[in-house]
Amino acid sequence: MSQTPQHGLTRRSLLASAGAFGAASTLSPRMAWSQDGKILKIRSYSDIQILDPSFRLSTPEGDIMTAIFAGLANYTNGDEWNWRPVAVETLEQLDDLTIAFKLRDKIGFTDGFGQMTAEDVKFSIERVADPANESPYAGDWDALKEVEVKDTLSGIIHLKNKFVPLWSTTLPTATCCILSKAAVEKEGGKLGTKPVAQSGPYIMTEWTPKQRTILKRNPDWAYEPGGYEEIQIFPIEDPAAAEIGFEAGDLDHTWTAVSSISRLKENPPPGGVMLEKPSLAYVWMGINQDVPPFDNKQIRRAVQHAIDRETVVEAAYFGAASTSTGIIAPGLPGHREAVLYDYDPDKARELLAAEGATDLSVTLDILNQSERLAAAQVIQANLADVGIKCEIKQNDSGTFWTLGAKEGDYWNKLQLIMGRFSMQPDPSWATVWFTPEQIGVWNWERFNSQDFAELHAQGLIESDPVKRDEIYRAMQDLMDESGCYVFLTHEVTGVLHRDTVIPGLKPNGESLLPDFKPA
Amino acid sequence: MSEAVSEPAVSRGKTARAALRLLREPLGAFALVLVVGVIAAAVFADVLASADPSKIAPRDRFMAPGMEHLLGTDQLGRDLFSRVLFGGRIALTVALGSTGVSLLIGVALGLVAGYGPRWLDNLLILLFDAIKSFPTVMLALAFVTLFGPSLTAVVVVVVIVNVPGYARIIRTQTIALKSAEFVTAAQSMGAGTARILRVHILPNVIGPILILASMDIPVVIAIEAGMSFLGLGVRPPTPSWGAILNDGFANIRETVWIVFAGGMPIILTTLGFTFLGEALRDIFDPRLKAR
Repeated sequence: MSQTPQHGLTRRSLLASAGAFGAASTLSPRMAWSQDGKILKIRSYSDIQILDPSFRLSTPEGDIMTAIFAGLANYTNGDEWNWRPVAVETLEQLDDLTIAFKLRDKIGFTDGFGQMTAEDVKFSIERVADPANESPYAGDWDALKEVEVKDTLSGIIHLKNKFVPLWSTTLPTATCCILSKAAVEKEGGKLGTKPVAQSGPYIMTEWTPKQRTILKRNPDWAYEPGGYEEIQIFPIEDPAAAEIGFEAGDLDHTWTAVSSISRLKENPPPGGVMLEKPSLAYVWMGINQDVPPFDNKQIRRAVQHAIDRETVVEAAYFGAASTSTGIIAPGLPGHREAVLYDYDPDKARELLAAEGATDLSVTLDILNQSERLAAAQVIQANLADVGIKCEIKQNDSGTFWTLGAKEGDYWNKLQLIMGRFSMQPDPSWATVWFTPEQIGVWNWERFNSQDFAELHAQGLIESDPVKRDEIYRAMQDLMDESGCYVFLTHEVTGVLHRDTVIPGLKPNGESLLPDFKPA
Repeated sequence: MSEAVSEPAVSRGKTARAALRLLREPLGAFALVLVVGVIAAAVFADVLASADPSKIAPRDRFMAPGMEHLLGTDQLGRDLFSRVLFGGRIALTVALGSTGVSLLIGVALGLVAGYGPRWLDNLLILLFDAIKSFPTVMLALAFVTLFGPSLTAVVVVVVIVNVPGYARIIRTQTIALKSAEFVTAAQSMGAGTARILRVHILPNVIGPILILASMDIPVVIAIEAGMSFLGLGVRPPTPSWGAILNDGFANIRETVWIVFAGGMPIILTTLGFTFLGEALRDIFDPRLKAR
């Protein structure tokens, strides 16, 4: 009895047909372009974990917070680092120790929390500075004495001492977002991922974790409106995936992988405009000095000598970025010309042999991104070359950004880590994360130097550019001497946007969401 | 006892005839060439590879195929041909190793379940069903979360996933044979349980399961490649087809050769083992040939 199906279609012929169809379908990829000028779709490199300015974890969170919580000031759109008032009518430095402010009179909080007042300014600023709150951004208000309320809308910020970075990295950042005192107290003293008492040009109306965040124009905002009625923000960790999203028409703006910059400048996708911005960010490999075998300084030094930084950066960024000499980028006070301990594999082997360190096996934790993986694989090969076996551990962003936290238990297993911190235009914003107070907060190498802390404090009050330059150079020398750091690059920032969009960007390419406009 | 003595001679004759029939079938011969080619490439990877598969040369990245690099180079300037050869070694090690282990455990458990007491059968069936109810990807993710990504993790996941299938088939056939006359005769002649299972039942149930196992090999290769693609399998710098495919995906706009290098061996090996399994099945069970 024949078992051939009546329709004559066998499983093999079906498979063959499906294969042919699949191959044919690749010849006509879907083309879809954003056609709506009212909605802006942009990518952020990480999702929201907290929407409290005092405890923010990433730049994309800060970008959103400055859009939904009016701050005293914000950076201006363009290629120069300047600030502009946001919640204030006036913001004026009267002398080295006093700054007077007067709030705009039509700024209100959502959710029925009333008008923004000077009392809210006092609460918000002192909350960041108060050591009891353990804000990682307390350093931004290191010099704060108090905020004096003069009347409903006016007040004076009093400083204990001169504070040089005030106008460059404190006032125009998310640290100076003004929160409703009543709302924060009602929430138990700390905000989570659901924003309350929003006050900026936009309000957040939806957050679907790992999928998207939606901001809409705040109907009660009486000043310069945001350029788009709605901004949809998609958290996409891998820039390569974001580039595909852009080309598919699903995004209007994205940071690109640094390794894609050359290709996209030469061949931008249809309707796309590629910009390259100098980055202040810094990428490094950290070595946890409290965990064996790296509790031995000579082994840390061997690792510094083992890493071929040029090749690491070349492999990760395809020649688009240069190696760095520290955490302070060119153009800022304190930028160095060279690192103290560079690639010298023979020296590395010599140090390891002197310490009797054979058959070392270590782990390198990285963020799950193609550039990081490429860099890590070169580091792995470099370490293997001097006899250290290195296992690469890839982490998603949610896991990665908690690895060295003192609240967890992984910090005492963490050995090598590849980090990248974004940066504001003052060297103190780079050094603040590596002070002893930051151990287990952002200082995951557990680098513990009182000399470094004292120099950091000096840098905050020193206004002589030459002396400041010396201070920050000396601080990076201390980092190098500790053996805890292998400085890799400052990257460059690749920005890809639709030609129907005028992006709102800081000089380093970071987003100013309310400043995006239709072309 | 003469039955047991004569059985190997019969098997050798059957095997030789089957091999000849396999070579006469165009699809079977093609499959055999593919499978032998893939295995030979993996076994002789050391000899065939033109470069160290892990040697990084960033300035040679994204080279197109040529005489120096037969399949081009990846984003780190590594020779793709060498990586594919050594990746094949990983894929086949995982596929053959884990399928073999699955087979051993599955056959043993299936025999015990089918021939053993009822309560043990029920217990094992419950265990098999519990394991089968887990989606493979979820099981892999859970396992990797607990024990970390590694080659061992891939093998263990595959073994856990495959054992219940083999065991169930062996169990069903064992139950059917348990009351067969030749088994009853052996029992009445005083043969022990172990001997009955090994000499009388196992040879009669192992054929179909071997065909099934050969058809599972491409599935296992795909699981290994999938896990490595997701970063849950083989760790860098060990070359793996899935990891090559992932590199290709990340750099698809720079060059298509990496995807080609990672994808083609998976396709060819999958086709080879699938067609080989189907050809074997057609030979041993011609009634199914037209399906």
